[in-house]
Amino acid sequence: MSTVSTPVIRVDGVSRWFGSVVAVSDVTFDIGPGITGLLGPNGAGKTTLLRMMTGLAATSSGKITVFGQHVRDNPPLYRRLGVMSEHETVYGFMTGREFVSMMGRLRGVELLDNAVDHAIELVDMADAQHRPLDTYSRGMRQRMRLAATLVHGPDILFLDEPLNGADPRQRVHFKRLLQQLAAAGKTIVLSSHILEEVEELAETVLLIVNGKLAASGGFRAIRAALNQRPYHVRVVCDDPRRLAAGIVRLPSVDAVHMDPDGALVVLSRNVTDLQVELPRLAQAAAIRLRRVEPMDDSLESVFGYLVEG
Amino acid sequence: MGEVYRLTLRQLSGRWRLIMMTLLSSLPVIVAVLMLRSSSAPSVWEFESAVLSAMLNGAIAPLVVLAISAAAFSNEVEDRTLANLTLAPIPRWKIAVPKLLATISLAAPFIAVSAFLTAHVAFLGDTQATIAITVSSMVGVALYASAFVWLGLVTTQAIGIGLLYIVLWEGFFSGFVSGVRLLSIRHYAIALMHGLDERRFAPVSHPPLAIAIGLSVLVLGGFLLLAIRRLRRMDVP
Repeated sequence: MSTVSTPVIRVDGVSRWFGSVVAVSDVTFDIGPGITGLLGPNGAGKTTLLRMMTGLAATSSGKITVFGQHVRDNPPLYRRLGVMSEHETVYGFMTGREFVSMMGRLRGVELLDNAVDHAIELVDMADAQHRPLDTYSRGMRQRMRLAATLVHGPDILFLDEPLNGADPRQRVHFKRLLQQLAAAGKTIVLSSHILEEVEELAETVLLIVNGKLAASGGFRAIRAALNQRPYHVRVVCDDPRRLAAGIVRLPSVDAVHMDPDGALVVLSRNVTDLQVELPRLAQAAAIRLRRVEPMDDSLESVFGYLVEG
Repeated sequence: MGEVYRLTLRQLSGRWRLIMMTLLSSLPVIVAVLMLRSSSAPSVWEFESAVLSAMLNGAIAPLVVLAISAAAFSNEVEDRTLANLTLAPIPRWKIAVPKLLATISLAAPFIAVSAFLTAHVAFLGDTQATIAITVSSMVGVALYASAFVWLGLVTTQAIGIGLLYIVLWEGFFSGFVSGVRLLSIRHYAIALMHGLDERRFAPVSHPPLAIAIGLSVLVLGGFLLLAIRRLRRMDVP
């Protein structure tokens, strides 16, 4: 469980089930200012958890408080929240500026024009602000949605898979913006199923797997746990028997066996070292490596390992 | 409230929806003209029963209102934009009331013109009868709207369920089972019409005016409260 001295968000023993399906199971953590990454594979329960934290969905048991208040059915509190869901929740018939203005008016923003200008500038969309949202690319819609999320200056941002559809330049801009907001004292909860995305942004990570909190804390600790898990690596080369004889002697290798098709399957708990040792070994033995690929590098297997561990 | 009202008007003012509503609402006028031109002109009671009750208030008005009101929330639930409103720091009634007002604002002109022209043609410009028919139809629009706005919030099958309600409840059962008339928006509208022009319309088996007004207020307020309650308790997608 993650604990924060003065939690902005407190999730206490929260579960949520839909009929017989348990989406979130007895999750407890605190979130403080800065960027917190909600990491987990697709279907892990991140979105359900995020929706409960924003008050959009009810908990089946447990309670969630934001700034010490119940978040569910508490409209005055929503003035302090900015929520960007993973879905493209825009009105295609509006221009980008109209959308941001409408969101500002609904949230009682004073000096609306200034706030809208500022929010649109923050996401670098001033040039396209008068075009209908229907004509935007997905990345542009994401940025205008972020402007609409920021227009009322919320204290907490909930962002569900915010980098979906963004091109590399937009990603860089987006990350810089989030870091600025975090430095300004905002609390940002960022959900993603992409490890590297969370690694680049979040100071604290909550790892959600099968609706449970599998791990939490600083990213280094999570990353270390990931690095210590056993990996299967498939190696295709022109002389597998000779390479296998050399590989078993490598310190980074736990086991090796040969597939019926002649490929080697190497089990290693230290892939970082294996990445260095294997090419060196092949070069020394004059063996040509044709293919080296991880067999289980999907997030699901990583999370599965952490949960089982 | 103005923001939600304006947004709903824009969302529901699609060209095809407006064309369909125009076509539907012109039907009672066309039928009235055809009936009056035929060699055997109907009696007031026959005209009331066939055109004003069964057609205008029992079919056309609810269909036009259903096409608009059911979409007021169900479209937002479907495309997941409802969270834009429910995450605003405003009480839930400030979402439900402007949604209802916007749907009434859109549907009422179509039915008002339809009722006015139908009455004007049928009763040869009789002002009191025309007002009675037009006003009672407007009340029907408001009542149907409150029911269908709520329906759009509780199910994504609002159009289908609404059609069943119109055909089975308002069209079939309320025409044959007298007790059902106490729970029929169509018959509240007709009772109001009778109350507003007793001279023209013969007293037949509809709820008394006072009861119809009381039940109308209950229906309008009840469905509005249910919609507000639903907004507070539902899981917003």
